Parts: sequence; C-alpha cells; structure tokens
Amino acid sequence: MKRTLALSLVILLISTGIGLAEPTETPRAPSWPDPDRLSYEEIKFSPPKPERVVLENGLTVYFLEDRELPLVNISFVVGAGSVFEPPAKEGLAEITGDVMRTGGAGKLGGDKIDEELESLAAPVSISLGMEYGTGSLSVLKKDLNRAFKIFADIIRHPAFDEAKLEQEKNLKIEDLRRVFDKPQRLAFREYKRAIYAGNPRGRLPEIASIEKMDREDLVAFHKSHFFPRNLRVAVTGDLSKQEALELISRHFDDWDDEGDFATAPLPKPQENAPLYYYEKKVPQSTVVIGTIGPGKESPDFYPFTVLDYILGSGGFRSRIFQEIRSNRGLAYSAGSFYDGRQGYGSFGAYAMTKSESTGQVLSLMEGILKDARESRFPAQDLHLAKRSIVNSYIFSFTSSHMIAFQHMILEFQGLPTKFLTEYPAKIDAVSREDVMKAAEKYLDPQKRTIFVLGDQGKFDEPLKSFGEVKRVK
Amino acid sequence: MNRSSKGPKAFSCRCVTLFLVVAILFTVSPGELQAYNLEDRVQRATLENGLRVLLVERHTSPTVSLYIRHLVGAADDGEGKTGAAHLLEHMLFKGTSTIGTKNFKEEDRVLKKIRETGTALDRERMKGTRADEAEIKRLAKELKELQSEAKEWVVENEIDRLYSENGAADLNASTGQDVTTYKVSLPANRIELWARIEADRMTNPVLREFYTERDVVIEERRQTYESVPSRKLMELFLATAFTASPYRRPIIGWPSDISFLAPDYLEAFFKQYHSPNNTVIAIVGDINTAKTLEMVKKYFGSIPSHNLMAHHVTEEPAQSGEKRTELVAEANPYLAIGWHKPTLPSFEDYVFDVIEALLSKGRTSRFHRSIVQGKQIAEDVSAANGMPAARYPNLFMVTGTPRHPHTAEELEQAVYEEIDKLKQEPVKKQELEKIINQLRAEFIRDLSSNSGLASRLSYYEIITGDYRYMTRYIQMIEKVTPKDIMAAAKKYLIEENRTVAVLVNKEKP
Repeated sequence: MKRTLALSLVILLISTGIGLAEPTETPRAPSWPDPDRLSYEEIKFSPPKPERVVLENGLTVYFLEDRELPLVNISFVVGAGSVFEPPAKEGLAEITGDVMRTGGAGKLGGDKIDEELESLAAPVSISLGMEYGTGSLSVLKKDLNRAFKIFADIIRHPAFDEAKLEQEKNLKIEDLRRVFDKPQRLAFREYKRAIYAGNPRGRLPEIASIEKMDREDLVAFHKSHFFPRNLRVAVTGDLSKQEALELISRHFDDWDDEGDFATAPLPKPQENAPLYYYEKKVPQSTVVIGTIGPGKESPDFYPFTVLDYILGSGGFRSRIFQEIRSNRGLAYSAGSFYDGRQGYGSFGAYAMTKSESTGQVLSLMEGILKDARESRFPAQDLHLAKRSIVNSYIFSFTSSHMIAFQHMILEFQGLPTKFLTEYPAKIDAVSREDVMKAAEKYLDPQKRTIFVLGDQGKFDEPLKSFGEVKRVK
Repeated sequence: MNRSSKGPKAFSCRCVTLFLVVAILFTVSPGELQAYNLEDRVQRATLENGLRVLLVERHTSPTVSLYIRHLVGAADDGEGKTGAAHLLEHMLFKGTSTIGTKNFKEEDRVLKKIRETGTALDRERMKGTRADEAEIKRLAKELKELQSEAKEWVVENEIDRLYSENGAADLNASTGQDVTTYKVSLPANRIELWARIEADRMTNPVLREFYTERDVVIEERRQTYESVPSRKLMELFLATAFTASPYRRPIIGWPSDISFLAPDYLEAFFKQYHSPNNTVIAIVGDINTAKTLEMVKKYFGSIPSHNLMAHHVTEEPAQSGEKRTELVAEANPYLAIGWHKPTLPSFEDYVFDVIEALLSKGRTSRFHRSIVQGKQIAEDVSAANGMPAARYPNLFMVTGTPRHPHTAEELEQAVYEEIDKLKQEPVKKQELEKIINQLRAEFIRDLSSNSGLASRLSYYEIITGDYRYMTRYIQMIEKVTPKDIMAAAKKYLIEENRTVAVLVNKEKP
C-alpha cells in the first residue's frame, strides 16, 4: 500500500502543464522563465500507514507514532448524528454532544472537568453533526493519563447534569434567535431545509424542539449510539503502539458491545421542485442551486469531483467564479461545493449579489449548469481540474493525525483504505465523456432545488420567471 | 481541493477575518524556546535590497508554506482613499506583464485608454448633482467597449491557474490595518514557481480589469458589512473609539471612497510600499535552507529597494471622557466596549494579553464562569487585546451577545463588575499559572503546522522588526505579576478612557 501511493504521487507530482499553456508572444526578461515551463525535482513520499487494531468488543483503534513534539492527539468518530434524531427532537444530537462535554462524567462534575482540562491545557471537544459525531483530545505527553481518563469517561459515562443541560439549551436557543442576524447563515440553513425536504436531514433544530428536550432524551440518544462497534478511535503522537493500546484497553476493554447500528433513509433529488424564496430586507441576495450528487463510494464520485471543480470550487478559473465575479463584478463570493458522503452527495452552486442583479446572476448560474450538460468542456479545463486535484492531494497527508483520522473516517464510511491510494489515479483517469455524463445524470434541471434569500421588491427580474415560487417563512 | 468549503477560495480581503486573526496572534503563545529550540531552527537572512527572509526546515511531509508580508495596510490609505491597500491586494491577482496576457504591447495600448476613460468618468461622477448625465453615459459606454477590447488580450486569473495546477493549498491574501499578506502552500518541489510569480508581481504588476474588480469589492462590502449588523456595529465602534488615528477607518474602505479609487493612486501606493526593504518572507517546510535561499536571491535579489519615506502618522489624542454610540438595526443586541492602551512591544501590552486570557480564555475564564454560566445573561462574552491592529496604540476590547430577554445594559454592568475585580483583588497564583500553561501548550501545538509557523514568524518580524518577539513571548508573560495586572486595570480600564457601542433593535423585543 505504501508503495502504490508513493508511486502515484511521484508520477503525478512531476507532471506539469507543459503544452497546454496559452501561447504568449511577449518577450520575457531573460532571467524570468515561462512559469509553465519550469522543471521540478521528483518528490518521493510514502505517507505512513496507521496500524489498526480491533479490540475484542469491536472497538477499532488506529495508531501512528510521531515523536516530533511532546504531544498526543486522540480523535474518535461515532455513528451518532442529527439524521438519527427522533421526530420533534431536532437538535438532540448537537445538545447531547454539548452536554457530554459540559455536564460532568464519571465521578467528576462539569466544572471540575473544565478546571482539570484547562489546567492541563488539554482541550477536549465533542461535536455530533449531521451524519456522524466526532470528538478530540490534544494533550502534552506528560499529562496523557490524567486527561485520557476524563476523555474516556466523557465518551462512556457522561452525567448529563440537569443544570448544565438547561444552560446548553438556553445557549442554543439564543444561537437560533441570532441566525436571523446573519443572512448567509440563515440562507444556507433554509436551503438545507428545502433541499432535504421530506428527509430527516431537512428537519432542523428550532426553539420549540430545543425547549422540549429533557435529560432522558440525551441519555437515550447516547445509549443507543455509543457502543464499541459504532466507535473508532485514532491515536497519534509521542507514544508507542504498546502505550497507546494499553491506554485504550484500560478504559475500553470492559465496555460491552450492546447496541444496533442506526440507519436513515438517503435523500433523493426533488422532482420539479418549486423555487424556494425567503424574504429578508437585506441589500444583497443569496442564491443557491443545489441537488443530490453521487456518494463517495460511487464510481461517479470522481467525474463529479472534477465537474464541481470546473464549475465552481476550483478557485478563480472555475466557471461560476470567473463569469460572475471576474468578468462581471457581480459578486464577491460565487462558486460551488460538493461533499461526497456515504450513499449520496451534497452539491450546490451559489452566489451573493446585490438585490438589483439577483435575476441576472440566477440566469448566469442556470446557464453555466445547462452548458455543462450540453457542451463538452475544453480539454484545458479538464486538464487544470485534474492537475489541481491530484497535485494538491499531498496536503491530505501533512500530519500524522490527519492521516490516521482519514483512515478512520474512510472505514467508518464503509470505504476501503485503498480509496486513499487510488484516489489520484482515479481522478487522473476521468475523461471528458465521464464529466459530461455526470453532468447529464446529476444536473438535470427537473431535479434541482433553487433557493433565494433576499428582498424581491428590489430584484431586477421577478422570481416567477424562473419557475413556480414557493415562499418559505 | 477545496471541496466542501462553502465560502469561495476568497482571496482576500477577508478584512474581518484579519481583524480577528490579529487578535488571535496576540493571545497565541509563543513559548518555551529552550526546550524546543525554535530559535536555533530559524535561519534569518537579509538580502542586499533589504528583503528579510526567515526559513525553517520541517521534513514531516513534502510540502512548504510560503508567506510574503509587506508593512503596509489600510492605516496607510490616504485621506479620501480608504480601501486602497485592500483593493490593491485584489488587483495583484490580475497578473503581470508576462503572466495573464497574450500580448502585453497590444494589451497595454488598450489599458492606457481604459485608464483615461475610467478616470474621466470618475471625474464626471465626482461632480455629483452637477454632473453631466449624458457625458457619464457616453464615457460609461466607451469604457465598456474598451473593456471588451482588452478581453481579447487577457488570459484571466492566470496566477490562480498556475498555482492551482501545481497543487497549491491555502492560496490567499489578506489586508489588515498594518500588514498586507500573500500566502500559499505548495508541494515542496514547486518553490521556484512561487519565486517566479511573486518576484514578478512585486516588480511588474498590471492592474488589468480594474473597474470590474472595484465593483467586486463593493459587493464584498455589501456581503461582509452592509448585510451583517454586528459587523456594521464594529465599524461604527472603531470610528467612534478613534478620533484621529488611522485605525478609525474600515479596512475595506468607506463606500464612496471605494467607488472613486483610481489606478494611478494604487500604482503609486504599490511603488511606495511593496518594496523589498518593506517586506518579510517566511518559508517553512520540506526545504533545503541553502538552496531555497539561493532561489530567493535569484528571483527577488534584483528587485530595487525604495527609499521608504518616513511619514508622520496622526497620533490619537488622550481620551478624556466616555464615548457612547448606538446602531439601530433589526437584529439581536450586541455590545462592544474598548479602552485605549499602548501597543507591543511595551510591557503593558503583555499585561493586557494576560488580562485577556484571565477574562475570556476557555470555560474556566472569569467571563464564562460568572456571566455565561453564573448570571446566564450572555450567550458569549470575549476579550481581545490589540484591536484593531498593532503598529500604533490600540484598544483592549470586550464584545458580547446578551441572552434574551437580558439586555446589553445588564451585560455591560456585568462586564464592569469583572473589570472592577481586576482593580480590587490581586490575581491568584494558580490562575496565572493556568494561563501560562495554556499559552505554552498552544505554542507547542502551533509548531506542528508549516503555515502556522510561517504566519507567526513573518508577522512578528514585520511588526516588531524581530521574530524573536514570538520565541521569547512566554518568558515575558511569565514576568507579569498580580500587581502589574491591578496597575494596568486601574490606569487604563476606566470610564474616561472607554468607548461603548450598542446594537439596538427598535422594531421588536
């Protein structure tokens, strides 16, 4: 495995853009060569592979030694996310994670834990997101045992103190009130509700759902998702494998593996969805056109990654950015995002533009997405996207913890670890036809969700000219 | 790969980001050098033209982080020219006479006409109500035609293309009040590409697509200030707290200034400030120090230095009475308080770093314990020393968000109670030790990232003239005594020296 990755990185890092650069007729200063014709020494690099050990109870541990600094970093991933929240309990995952951290654990109260961890300068964070949860501890080697004991208790024996729960609920409620003060945050929150309508992912925390939450909800949510087979731990830093395993065993060996994996329905693209409009009196509109893309395990993941790069995530040269920002000065932020997840992907194109150019920007974005399905991209666009993705791939391996963490997440998502080694070659193998097919399959105008937040009284074009408008609160 | 980011690879101008970045830099923690020998690992060289270079070898992965910082920022914008430093930073992504053009001679001919027409158009627009609308229309049309003509010769976004294709990560630039920064991380074998591009843009930048980019910045302002009430409040706060200091003005510029910024001014600004003797480079990663330094000399060594004209900077007169202001907006309340104080490297600035940590670093900090958890009247309260920047005397700030139905007034009183405690009770030894531990551990964590290290080394070198400010930081912090804290609080954190800004919603509860 090491060898394969090293080989692919070597090959890909030395290939440059020679031959595809725009021709230039300008004479250059003699000492300043054509930046497209510089030659580079080869890079030989085999990222270390973490060791993997499965405890008897099913808990999987990834370990990588790194003695550069006197630090130990530990992370976990757990199959506990908001997608598994029971109806009317929106926000439960997030609050559970928060109160695990603040509400005491084992024999220690929450305040005591804060004091211990901060006196050791050992930050612990727990965050239960949409698809899964993660947690981390970073600690100086000398304080490892003390800090890890607390970390393990937080994972296994959180106390969920009532008073701390009340505090976290109140803070979350205030946070929700303040969503309206940040138009972009509000827009992406409401977009999420629209694109995932009818799926658990479209149910969002509300003041009412937070208010109703009680301690039993947290205890039950924790109990049903935190069990050894549903958890993976990555340990890296200034310790030996034996030290790491002893530490983990000491705190996790006696943990019985009781529990069932939770499942949730995958989101589907909406057929002929209306245009969602959220009214807010702001000088600038947020426009998002999104759809459900391929999952990370799909063969389409690679061409779609290239497609997304060309469309909007590939910096200044990407089409949305170049057309809307560079050519027309209509936005500061414009582009696209694509996140390939387990079983599906989240794709969206976005721009923020003044109210008076909202219609123009929406038309431009629609045009760019339409064009992606109807005409093949020029060879140099594909070349740039592939080179960029492959050449920057090396930045996925810049720290031991990053490497171990990636292995952990990949396996958690049911992907083979060779995913990491094969990624550059698979991106490199993407053809223009593949990209076009991906665009045809996933960017179907009947299956897109359009979302606009803004002040329609000032728009240059009525929204109804883009389709049936559904006003959301 | 930038795959999941919602924000664009937004170059720049993340004025607000920088505002925060600077604050973080002060709290972050340089530390125990002897133990980790950072000073021994830093190679420092000064080229004949005055360019300073800091290099650190770290062979963890075959990557390198490259920072260029110029000692120039929004504080150097001329009167009526606010936003100049920031727009220039945007413009430097437009290429050079050899990058971004199909034929520079032809292109330059059109660019000159664009500049003439654009300048004439701006002059007419400046007349305001007395402007000749027909003339404005004619010039705007002419400008548009010239812009399409120029497009024929432009290869757009070439700098971004070159870097991206070669595997760049974190390609970005930022403008602050004090410093303008260009940064990128690359596979370690691509250093020559960086040197080729950056030396070129320090010498021959071409301000192509100028008027379109000026519009982009106006959109940026709309996005990051006009649409976000808390940001508007910060802008108002600084404009109130400073009467004379250049720090009173927003980095991005006032809207009317931005809309009249001209290429001639930006070019002169560039020549004055982006010279090698006003610049620090930091390179951290999988490098060979000697070879890398040779590469830097090869490309940057021939850039001529400029006589940096010493210029007088308006000093902020001592404040003698509280200033209060409010912003009415349809949003939840927000509170900002600031007190004037000396900047680094004065000893008192270190004392305020300690006060900042005491008040708001972590869940056991005084603000969190007493106001967020105890009284439960705020969602968040934090302190920040050294706002908005560090070249000139600055502010110690507290910002906070009251928790409904509690008000900004209640929160303000709670903050003053904590400030008064600083004046009345000496800080306990354990509390100080906790802070030093936290700062030391953070320092060690910062050493584990090429870009983090390059960022800090170059920042302190350019701001203080010596990166060892950072490496000796913890030693200085260790000298701060409970007495120093009481003295600083009594001297500076007083009513006559403070400014208070409150966001008020008159519409609804």
